[in-house]
Amino acid sequence: MPGHRTKGFCASAAALALCAVLAGCGGSGESAGGGKVVLRYTWWGNPDRAARTEQAVALFEKEHPNVRVQTSFSGYDAYKQKLAIQATGGDAPDVMQLDYRQIDQYASGHVLLDLGKVEDTLHTDEIDTGLLATGRVNGRQYAIPQGRGTETVVYDTKAWKDSGVPLPGKSWTWSQWADAMRELAEKTGRPGSVDPGQSEDAFEVWLRGQGKALYTKDNRLGFTADDLTKWWTFTDRLRREGVVSPAEQTTQLDGSVENTPLGRGKATADFNWDAPSSGYLALVPTGVTLAPMPSGQDGTPGQYFKPSMFLGIGAHTSHPEQAAALVDFLLNDDQAAKILGATRGIPVNETIRKQTASELKDFDKTVSDFQSSLEGTLKDPPQAPPSGDNALQTTFQRDYDQVSYERMSPREAAENYVTEAKAELRS
Amino acid sequence: MTTTQTPAVPVPATTAPPGKRPKRQREGAAWVFLSPWVLGATVLTLLPMAVSLYLSFTDYDLFNAPRWVGLRNYTQMFTEDPRYWRSVTTTLTYVVIAVPLQLALALVVALALKNMRRGKGFYRSAFYAPSLLGASMSIALVWRALFNDGGTVDHLTGSGGWINKPGWALLAVALLTVWQFGAPMVIFLAGLQQIPAELYEAAAVDGAGKWRQFVSVTVPMLSPVLFFNLVLQTIQAFQVFTPAFAVSAGKGGPADSTLVYTLYLYDRGFVASHMGYASAMAWVLLIVIGAVTAVLFRTSRSWVFYASEGDR
Repeated sequence: MPGHRTKGFCASAAALALCAVLAGCGGSGESAGGGKVVLRYTWWGNPDRAARTEQAVALFEKEHPNVRVQTSFSGYDAYKQKLAIQATGGDAPDVMQLDYRQIDQYASGHVLLDLGKVEDTLHTDEIDTGLLATGRVNGRQYAIPQGRGTETVVYDTKAWKDSGVPLPGKSWTWSQWADAMRELAEKTGRPGSVDPGQSEDAFEVWLRGQGKALYTKDNRLGFTADDLTKWWTFTDRLRREGVVSPAEQTTQLDGSVENTPLGRGKATADFNWDAPSSGYLALVPTGVTLAPMPSGQDGTPGQYFKPSMFLGIGAHTSHPEQAAALVDFLLNDDQAAKILGATRGIPVNETIRKQTASELKDFDKTVSDFQSSLEGTLKDPPQAPPSGDNALQTTFQRDYDQVSYERMSPREAAENYVTEAKAELRS
Repeated sequence: MTTTQTPAVPVPATTAPPGKRPKRQREGAAWVFLSPWVLGATVLTLLPMAVSLYLSFTDYDLFNAPRWVGLRNYTQMFTEDPRYWRSVTTTLTYVVIAVPLQLALALVVALALKNMRRGKGFYRSAFYAPSLLGASMSIALVWRALFNDGGTVDHLTGSGGWINKPGWALLAVALLTVWQFGAPMVIFLAGLQQIPAELYEAAAVDGAGKWRQFVSVTVPMLSPVLFFNLVLQTIQAFQVFTPAFAVSAGKGGPADSTLVYTLYLYDRGFVASHMGYASAMAWVLLIVIGAVTAVLFRTSRSWVFYASEGDR
């Protein structure tokens, strides 16, 4: 029967086809290199980060005339999918930006190169040992943190000031946050904030504010369906009141600033990581301000400093030395550090951080000031999330869609999520 | 290319002229010509199918070696995965919406084109064009822009963004498929031209109007073609992936409303790295499509009319 054969093997065949296509792309790129070593370097980010990265890469190419770097970037969601397919197809890029969630899976899956093999080229001695350890799996260094970041409530400064609602202070609780958003919605006639219910990150901050965690030490679920029901009931009520963005807006979130309600001019505030918030400046020309994440009712802070992203090298790269040189350049070179600023978070190289702290300007300074205002008040970060968390982040959004579109009650959706999460973590 | 200069394969012309080669040699030649297909079918179809069947009984994350789990993937699918059943319902809804709409549109356009005197070639190409373009990702992205909030459809109808409403998103996906009605249309056209003109003349003499002619002559005479199109389009609809993937930006949203079967399969296999589970899903789909096709063939006995049978 025509069409039948395409089904049964679709998984493997799709992988094969993708490999062929991707290999094809790689091949053409190499021939265009004209005998040079060609490195593929991929990352996620906003256009601002892209422009600065290109600049830094151009400088690297100038210093290494025999190396050509092919770069590509996309929004986080798209990047995550693409990298997963490249990695499983054995076609991971030479140098790749990684999220905390991907380290465990890709290191134990032999996608990442053991960086101990290139330690002569790639220097890590100026990185804080505690921070460096976040890129270790089973005692081996597989990835190097590239910056330190933390979450923030980012808001349209002018819109908030014009509304007459008092600006957020140095700390606030979730109920104070909700009250402020409610007032903003009343004064501005549009939702105060994006709906945080869809965000596993925001949920984690809320959970930590109550002294709990997403995962236990032995990588099991650290919360119950009751906790999640409470969180989703809280956000669902705000959504019904029009205080946070409606489902039609929330479902369009894809990790890019362009598709956030704040970026589209449909809300006053948003939740995001501090460094990527620079992307809003192109969309909210009057400027944005970073406020701390809300804390628990007793003032327990939920947010924490975490390695905002990592750099890793593909295990199957044909040019480990050159790839290591690129990573070393991005982390440790003075000139590169000047160009990159805080676009990936505050630099991890201690010397560079001290040198550049006074030179940071514009949004880089905003991020740096924001982090110093939190310094000393936050609790220790949780351990690296288990492999399954990569998939669960998406599941979380999906299950909340069922709530925000009113197809399930918060309780039903929460129980679904807990079932799915347990299955995911067991396998 | 230098091969053009080399002479053709030396032919032992003196002993065995082309028409009288021994049988074995003729078979050998057949195999040579068949080899690309045989190779492709074995390496790219049969082998992956066998591997996929094996994987469906394992827990395989694509990085580490597969681990045998027996029927666990299948039991999990049927008893513990609410999202799986949502994807089944979504796919069935999609098939029921898209297939009849597409076939009806293809038939209507084919009927209109059949009697057209001037510009036939132009219109045929014009109506076929979407089928050539539609498979591409770019059209799916255009679709996304058309049906998003603030998009063209929103501006024209004030209905908001279809792709952000669970009740409407699947319709936007189905419309993308329906729009690509070129292939069934061409087949219908060919079928329509096979119907002898004297049947219409005889019907006209008997006083049948246009509608009566359509119901009593066109439909029965066209039924084998209709059946062929129905089977083909149904199979394709069960396997729909690209439009759903592109229109929902790969997520099958909003609220899983466009999470069709193959999209969920892709999600399990490549996003969540459960290739064993995805393989099990693929095999269930294969069996279901086989069963549905068998049912279609069975019902066809009562409504498909073959002219050769009619002679008896």
